[in-house]
Amino acid sequence: MTATTRVESVELVPAGGSGWSVGLSNLLHKEFGQWWTTKLWWIQTLIWLIILNGVTTVIMLDSSGMAPDALVNEAVQTFVLVAATAVGIAIVLTLQGSIVGERELGTAAWVVSKPVSRTAFVASKLIAHFTGFAITAILIPSAVFLVTAQFLLAEPVAYGPFAMGMAVTALNVLFYVVLTLALGCMFNGRGPIAGIGITLILMGQFFKGMLPETIVLATPWLLGDVAASFAVQQPPAFDRMVPMIVAGIEIVILALVGIWRFNREEF
Amino acid sequence: MQSASTETGVVTQRPVAEQQSREMSGPAVIHASGLSKRFGSIEALTGLDLSVPQHSIVGFLGPNGAGKTTAIKLLLGLSRPTSGQATVFGLDAVQDSTAIRSRVGYLAQDPRFYTHLTARETLEFTAKFFFRGPKLAIQNRIEETLDLVGLTDKADRPTKGLSGGERQRLGIAQAQVNHPDLLVLDEPAAALDPLGRRDVLKIMERLREHTTIFYSTHILDDVQRVSDHVVILHQGRKVADATTSQLLDGGCSYQIDIRGDGTTARTTLEGQPWVSEVVLATTENGDRMMVTVTNQEAGDALLLRSILRDDALTVTNFGRMHHNLEEVFLHLVEGQET
Repeated sequence: MTATTRVESVELVPAGGSGWSVGLSNLLHKEFGQWWTTKLWWIQTLIWLIILNGVTTVIMLDSSGMAPDALVNEAVQTFVLVAATAVGIAIVLTLQGSIVGERELGTAAWVVSKPVSRTAFVASKLIAHFTGFAITAILIPSAVFLVTAQFLLAEPVAYGPFAMGMAVTALNVLFYVVLTLALGCMFNGRGPIAGIGITLILMGQFFKGMLPETIVLATPWLLGDVAASFAVQQPPAFDRMVPMIVAGIEIVILALVGIWRFNREEF
Repeated sequence: MQSASTETGVVTQRPVAEQQSREMSGPAVIHASGLSKRFGSIEALTGLDLSVPQHSIVGFLGPNGAGKTTAIKLLLGLSRPTSGQATVFGLDAVQDSTAIRSRVGYLAQDPRFYTHLTARETLEFTAKFFFRGPKLAIQNRIEETLDLVGLTDKADRPTKGLSGGERQRLGIAQAQVNHPDLLVLDEPAAALDPLGRRDVLKIMERLREHTTIFYSTHILDDVQRVSDHVVILHQGRKVADATTSQLLDGGCSYQIDIRGDGTTARTTLEGQPWVSEVVLATTENGDRMMVTVTNQEAGDALLLRSILRDDALTVTNFGRMHHNLEEVFLHLVEGQET
């Protein structure tokens, strides 16, 4: 080490700030950097192009004597429903270590030892991961789907309803991002996080037709159906607003519980 | 105490900190009162009272598991006390922890950083929590800090490629990048080789003009070299809290080497109200008397005169005893255990 004299950098001013957002912009910059300045974004994009657009392109190419409008609905519905399920599973698997991993590595303890709000620590992950998945798993595949449909389908896809359906799919993405991060705040190991998240999704696949409607409406299981119903312009048997409102409330509750728990964490 | 040196003896080794000793008169940067922390049935910290004056270097000393790291985390608001309270810069450690941390540089015991970031990026990331300004000004601050810890040539290496010592230096750099009013270092020299340790101590001495330094360690030699105040913890309890010189003066004892029968002198001294203990031992070169006094002024003025009243005695060496910190530490810790 060499001796240096202390040089006051007069141009620098304290970052300041108070409340829950202290340190948020710096943390967001770091979290977005991990998405967009590494290979993560294009790997995720590639995966979803293969899964979502691959499956729907096969459907578009193999019409099997279906009527043009039925084929459009089949392709759109498949795209939306596969997105709702597969992206949910991917979110749980990808983000299970987002907070737990930082806790295990000691980087969470390091960051919160700086003038940073713990709420900002969780919020930065929530915002960055939601944005990352929404763009790579929803927005880009949706755009590619519409372009593909333009070329392969005889009937056009209705852009407005399709966009509405994808907005509901984005709500589904937000639910699983918040759920996984909240579980990461509550548990110290990856097992319970992945277990609870994946079980919730799979239970929806197997039991949503068997359980009473009031129970099913209290889960995020119907968000895929709601999204599909918007996209193909076919109202379902239940009120579409209920699953969306319930999911919205659950997102807020999960986020608040996760943040509360992380604020109580001792490092 | 097994060994001691005298002011008139040859082996006296005055610690740097003692030479630079300053009165602990500044306003308290850290103040703790009855600070306690319990983890289940384990009492990690019990009723810690603490006051750290401005611009002091305070060594927080204790064996492993003594509660040093727990206390530091409580002060920084990283953990909540079971009872008691602490303030830093007059701000409550629980309620105002973010404001406190904006003025503190903290090095954790085992610092961990994002492995994909380089040392420079790590400092940039850290710096942006504390200040904003032109990019060039931030870069200058980072260059200055890298230079301070000797990491300029490794600045663009990802942190996963740094050795333990280099990571420790980066830890010191990130703690210092905001030019903090208070530097809290948890075992800053533990992972360093002797040269690295020496450099860290030099940095600490240089920073004391601007910063209060509160650091934990179990390397007693380091504490003796740079600290002007020492707090010793053992099993979660404070067992000593004094300036380094006070601690090393060890309750004011004297060592007197004599030739001749010292029993009369011992009896005389034991009758003096300002003498608390007299030990007479035989050494290879004659007898040695170790006298502990309750009043240092009386000891300085009267002790030698009292001994020389016995005409049969010759005093060959006389001086106040200086203990090293290891002796004091072991004495205190073992005393607590018994």
